[in-house]
Amino acid sequence: MAAETVSNVVCPLCGCLCDDIEVIVEDGKISNVKKACPLGKNKIMGHDRIKAPMIRENGEFKEVSYDDVIEKSAQILAQAKRPLLYGWASLICEAQRKGVELAEEIGALIDTTASVCHGSTVVGVQGRGAPGCTLGEIKNRADLVIYWGCNPQEAHPRHRARYAHSVKGMYRPNGKNDRKVFVIDVRETKTAKVADEFVKIDPGYDYMAFSALRTILAGHADVVPDTVGGVAKEKLVEMVDAMKSCEFGVIFGGMGLTHTRCRYKNLENVISLVDELNAHTKFTLIPMRGHYNVNGSGHSLAWLTGYPFAIDFSRGYAWYNPGETTSNDLLMRREVDAMMAIAGDPGAHFPGESLRHMAKIPLIQIDPYANPTTELADIVIPTAVSGVEVDGTAYRMDGVPIRTRKVVETEYLTDEEVLERILTRVRELKGGN
Amino acid sequence: MTILIKNGVVFDPAQGIDGEKMDIAIDGDKFVEDVSSPDEVIDAGGRMVVPGGVELHTHIAGGKVNAGRIMRPEDGRKGRIPRGKLTRACSGFSVLNTFATAYTYARMGYTTTFEAAMPPLLARHTHEEFEDTPITDKGALVLLDNNWMTIEYAKSGDLDKLAAYVSWMSEASKAYGIKIVNPGGTEAWGWGKNCSINDPVPGFDVTPKEIIKALAQVNEDLGLPHSIHIHCNDLGHPGNFETTIETYEAVKDIKPSSDRQVMHATHTQFHSYGGSNWGDFESKADEIAKYINKNDHITIDLGVVMFCDTTTMTADGPMEYSLHTLSRRKWSNHDVELETGSGIIPVAYSPKIGVNAIQWAIGLELALLITDPWKMALTTDHPNGCPFTFYPEIIALLMSKAKRESMLETVSEAVGKRALIATIDRELTWSDIITMTRAGPAKILGMSDTKGSLKVGADADLAIYDIMPESFDPTKDYKTIEDKLMRTVYTIKGGEIVVRDGEITATPHGRTFWVNPAGKKAEAARDGMLEDLERMFRDYYTVSMANYPVQDEYIPHGVEIRTEVN
Amino acid sequence: MSTITLSMKQSITVPLEAENITPDNLAGKSVDEIKAVTVYHGNSEAVIGDFFDVTVEGSGNDPASTEIIMKGDLTRVKRIGEGMSAGSIVIEGDCDMHCGAFMRGGKITVKGNADAWAGREMRGGEIIIEGDAGNYVGSAYRGELTGMRGGKIVVEGNAGDYIGEHIGGGEIIVKGNTGVLPGLSMTGGKIIIEGTATMPGGEMTKGEIIVKGGIIDMLPGFKFEGEEEVDGATLKKYTGDLAVRGTGKGILLVG
Repeated sequence: MAAETVSNVVCPLCGCLCDDIEVIVEDGKISNVKKACPLGKNKIMGHDRIKAPMIRENGEFKEVSYDDVIEKSAQILAQAKRPLLYGWASLICEAQRKGVELAEEIGALIDTTASVCHGSTVVGVQGRGAPGCTLGEIKNRADLVIYWGCNPQEAHPRHRARYAHSVKGMYRPNGKNDRKVFVIDVRETKTAKVADEFVKIDPGYDYMAFSALRTILAGHADVVPDTVGGVAKEKLVEMVDAMKSCEFGVIFGGMGLTHTRCRYKNLENVISLVDELNAHTKFTLIPMRGHYNVNGSGHSLAWLTGYPFAIDFSRGYAWYNPGETTSNDLLMRREVDAMMAIAGDPGAHFPGESLRHMAKIPLIQIDPYANPTTELADIVIPTAVSGVEVDGTAYRMDGVPIRTRKVVETEYLTDEEVLERILTRVRELKGGN
Repeated sequence: MTILIKNGVVFDPAQGIDGEKMDIAIDGDKFVEDVSSPDEVIDAGGRMVVPGGVELHTHIAGGKVNAGRIMRPEDGRKGRIPRGKLTRACSGFSVLNTFATAYTYARMGYTTTFEAAMPPLLARHTHEEFEDTPITDKGALVLLDNNWMTIEYAKSGDLDKLAAYVSWMSEASKAYGIKIVNPGGTEAWGWGKNCSINDPVPGFDVTPKEIIKALAQVNEDLGLPHSIHIHCNDLGHPGNFETTIETYEAVKDIKPSSDRQVMHATHTQFHSYGGSNWGDFESKADEIAKYINKNDHITIDLGVVMFCDTTTMTADGPMEYSLHTLSRRKWSNHDVELETGSGIIPVAYSPKIGVNAIQWAIGLELALLITDPWKMALTTDHPNGCPFTFYPEIIALLMSKAKRESMLETVSEAVGKRALIATIDRELTWSDIITMTRAGPAKILGMSDTKGSLKVGADADLAIYDIMPESFDPTKDYKTIEDKLMRTVYTIKGGEIVVRDGEITATPHGRTFWVNPAGKKAEAARDGMLEDLERMFRDYYTVSMANYPVQDEYIPHGVEIRTEVN
Repeated sequence: MSTITLSMKQSITVPLEAENITPDNLAGKSVDEIKAVTVYHGNSEAVIGDFFDVTVEGSGNDPASTEIIMKGDLTRVKRIGEGMSAGSIVIEGDCDMHCGAFMRGGKITVKGNADAWAGREMRGGEIIIEGDAGNYVGSAYRGELTGMRGGKIVVEGNAGDYIGEHIGGGEIIVKGNTGVLPGLSMTGGKIIIEGTATMPGGEMTKGEIIVKGGIIDMLPGFKFEGEEEVDGATLKKYTGDLAVRGTGKGILLVG
């Protein structure tokens, strides 16, 4: 079979959701990937696939059929009193929607990787709102770009070139030369090195820095101390001037805000800063979402349940309260009696105390890839790779929904098919209502 | 399946039926003349039998509705209902989850609901939510007025290319009609600015009025079922009634392509303001009503405000920010590249606040001062004026002066000074109400062949309320209206019983109507337009043109309406 | 006067939601009736009798003259006393989240520690926590504008982060130390911290915070106004938080 090039493929790696990728397919297999960043190329090319469904017996995995793992999973979930369905970021909305149906059916908690990622941003939004825009607005209009606590050069490699910095737009025909880029971080990252200005801040002092910027913006620079979080007052005043005087500004917020002291309060504070800047000029905020469809998980869960993550269906309706219904809070309190990890890798990202509890309870993994979660799992269900072997919807970090493309065929069941079969079996076990 | 509904007191304004005792027959998904040996006989026992409700302007699905849900967990917790045997878990008071939206509309007797603002770039999102909003038939109006392509063509006067663009976008976004929201103003908001109707749009040497006229003309050139559907400039500004009337006047000379208006002006309550600031803010509902009564090219919907803590959401970004600076609770905004924007904030309308009380009065005044019920649809611009769950109470207010008087005692005295409501005696009839909630909106949407009527051949959508019109005085017994219109005795959608005694009995997928404008008018300038559009994607959009149109997978229950003007 | 004693039979890991355990709900009920009151255990419905031994002493139908004594391991019992209007609850040990949420009157005494959200959205009444309290004491629900509006919460030990978030009225007293951002977005009421506090009063617009034990990381939007005598101690007075569009009608007194 001749080599075929599939164009306009959507990259299922990060929240940039680049949709200009070219994939070369030879004999039904992907032989090369063009235009993608190294991270995206690696994902699309594929690696470490789980070969077959597996069940752990006496500590060792045994390869079994899909029927076996689906039956066993359904049994576990149907009996559980406080099951947790976690993950939902690296897969398509069609599967997320099925997941919510399953969660309702078994009175489960359903939580996404946002729980350990931009969940703080979401809670911040619930306090103050989300003054944002799509990335094309940045491309066409922004003359001031601030990366705060994020490092796109390493985590979102094409972000600057496609959307925010060197890219040319309607009102920024000279790309990079028409924009000023600030990086605020605790260390001089690769992104800081390509910025016009790097401002180093002490770890855990973002909230105070935002308070200082807002106080200066409100005309009270006089009360602000000489340094705040390691940043000189003159620099803060300079930043406020730059923000007020630009035509269109944007702050891209990263994990440096969500995972440090004050967590979602950092987000509340920066959202209010952006809000107040709009009295002077146009200003927006966009969170740098990680997994390619973690934003989609927030959206699909919200329209289905009313809430974007951390939802507890144990009472039949949705109860949402991060800090109580978030995965690590539940696991560290040892509340959960069965868990499904789907399209997320808690084994790699959760703290030891959570992992110790995960090791004690039945753990079902649904994923195309073997990863640290596999080491803890009792049941492993391999699936097709969404966005490469399955087409479906993903939401970019700015809320733009794009249909990912199917590039090659697969023998694996899709996430949606596996969930549908578990759901059907659970309904039978629970008496078919 | 055949159903015979016996002994109903039928209101069907489209057929001139005004409270007659008669039987209604259903065969499959249509009303028919009669059925022999029906599968199900429903004895209405003298209760009110009416067509299923038609909602022509509501915000129930898509990016901004969902941003409202995400932003407001405190609203979500207000409406929670556990899952049932047939129903999914529900949440929300003003930003309901999709299931709560669907079940609540159905329980209230509504069977057709139109999402009033779909950004083309985010159209997939609206359609995904539609698929999780069962029961009602749906459609979405696509935002086409702040698009750079539209503005450029309005400026150059190239209406053939604009027709080609509208046609391409309608198909690409799977939309039912053209929505206009603060034309030019939302583009200006890209720079934190706003536009009134005669201000040149920043960066484009063209005025909102020219954009409106161009889209209105193209709408008729393409023979679309619905007219342009406009949210005028200056929404919410004191003194905006002049802009509103100037907007109406702008399209007076355009000839409609079918028996309907040339412009549908939405949530008119928000556009009927006098005064020059919040201090001398007053009702100009009389001026608007006077214009509507004299002219036939405009229809409106009301956008009634009721007192509650609701969520406002609109593509009118600058208006939302300006409103936000008054309350400072929380503010979401989402500008969409090359196309549109949106803003969302929570708003608590209080009877004690003069401005809010006058807004409440204006919504009702419009309904009472406009003489022809066919020219106005009942809406709350859900959830902007209040959630649609206030319809029963609003209907009670419109039908009963006594109800209005009792409510007037609880609102700010500003209403007595700067609104007209207390001076109006009119009490609407059932026929008026059924026109404004069924026959009228169906005609305005260009769907009167299938919706808003019980006539033979129409879609078998019907509601039975536990009200005996022959022995019921709505002017006195308004509390019963509020109670009984919340939950039908029966709702039938497409010939299927979906509600019985106020409980959901079936949750079929509704259909999604979309318009595919074809024919020479749509296609003549297509090649030239596509060159322009390809340039827009190459240079300015951040998605590939190949990934832009909504794929068929998103409308598994789609109904294509092809128009063809040659 | 009646005393209802609920003794937890054994420790549990899956939490119990016990918002029905209030004097309002249990007053005047017999032992059997109390045993039949619903509680929620994970995703299943249960009754008080499944988890507690129940005794009733004395009689009376009036919540105000009803005392509930809770014994045993209550670390996984949530929402005790939710919305109660009168009477009292004594928790002889630690309790789980949301104790006394929406409380309107009466008194809850926690002899041990209380987990997060004690007194969330409280309107009136009194909560005494003799041990430590978790995060969000007297705070709001997610997205809500106002937390505690009235009543009094006393924490004899330390309290966690974000206590009194969005507090609009009432009083919180912490004898020990608190975590980050006590009184965040405060719009009214009073918070007294005898120990230390980190970044108190962030974005407060009204109300009063007294921190006697000193501040770790004073926020930059507070203006020093001079010294003030409070209960014989000389405290530094600040107003803020000027970060909120220069308003700053909140008062922060620091020892």
